[in-house]
Amino acid sequence: MGHRPSNEDFMPAHKSIDRIRTVTASTFDQLVLKGEGPIIVEFMSYGCAHCGVLEPDIQQVAEIVESTETIFRVNIALDPDLAEHYEVQGTPTLVMFLNGAIVGRDAGPSPDVSNLLAVVKQPYNS
Amino acid sequence: MQIKIQPAPILLFNDECGVCRTIATWVKRQVQAGSRSPSMLVRPIGQDPEELRALNQDLNIWDAYATIHLLMPDGSMKLGGEAVAEVLRNLPTTKWFTWTFAISVFGIRPFQAILNLAYAILADIRPVFGCESCGTPSPWVRPIRWIVKWVQSLFGGMHHPHPSRHFSSLPARVRLPQTHQI
Repeated sequence: MGHRPSNEDFMPAHKSIDRIRTVTASTFDQLVLKGEGPIIVEFMSYGCAHCGVLEPDIQQVAEIVESTETIFRVNIALDPDLAEHYEVQGTPTLVMFLNGAIVGRDAGPSPDVSNLLAVVKQPYNS
Repeated sequence: MQIKIQPAPILLFNDECGVCRTIATWVKRQVQAGSRSPSMLVRPIGQDPEELRALNQDLNIWDAYATIHLLMPDGSMKLGGEAVAEVLRNLPTTKWFTWTFAISVFGIRPFQAILNLAYAILADIRPVFGCESCGTPSPWVRPIRWIVKWVQSLFGGMHHPHPSRHFSSLPARVRLPQTHQI
């Protein structure tokens, strides 16, 4: 299970800023499909251990790309219909949109900032 | 830290993990059998980070899923083996032996250390028992899981009442844009 926080190292270390906004079925159209510029959507759920491993790295990537690209998350536990519509087979899955169209997707990328940056930037660079 | 007075400790459990659900159900039953006023509240972690933060502003939903959390009435939190010890202290059927966890020998609490180890093993071994949301098992658990899967395959596989949509591995790959448009 990787690192397990202990009583000692738990306290306020997690008060970091959440740079990824959550979109729901009701806001997806407005924020993602009608959104401007490159948009990355992470289909995830909080109970998914892999998503937890990815989280710090994707937050870092969101910070790096925030001037050019926007990252949103969809919680598939709350919005299973969205996940089904975008054929998400499991979490985490990243889907890249440009002007409302899907231009790339990746499932379960290696949890590493440079790999993740390559994944989210590749569709827009090519 | 904001301190909220709550009537009893709150045990948070991972409702996407079969092992955790089973243990939580057992704890609930013990609590209900104990007395009229519950000595502990048992609730799933859920999917709302803000709701959890309302219980304790230092509570992070990712951490809540990573390890067992017990929210104490004074606003503090107990994690892992310490949380398990506190849960056992609050159950009428188990509290009789929990004094052992406080025994200290040269600054080391041997029974608490054993409990911590037992919790760590249980947390690691959950994927063997069908916790699909727990991610890739630790290296030492993988051979056990292969054996369990092999044995299950001999008997026609195992039925999972709660099929999960979490990946069981993290393949490092980048798909080309042309090949993965829906």
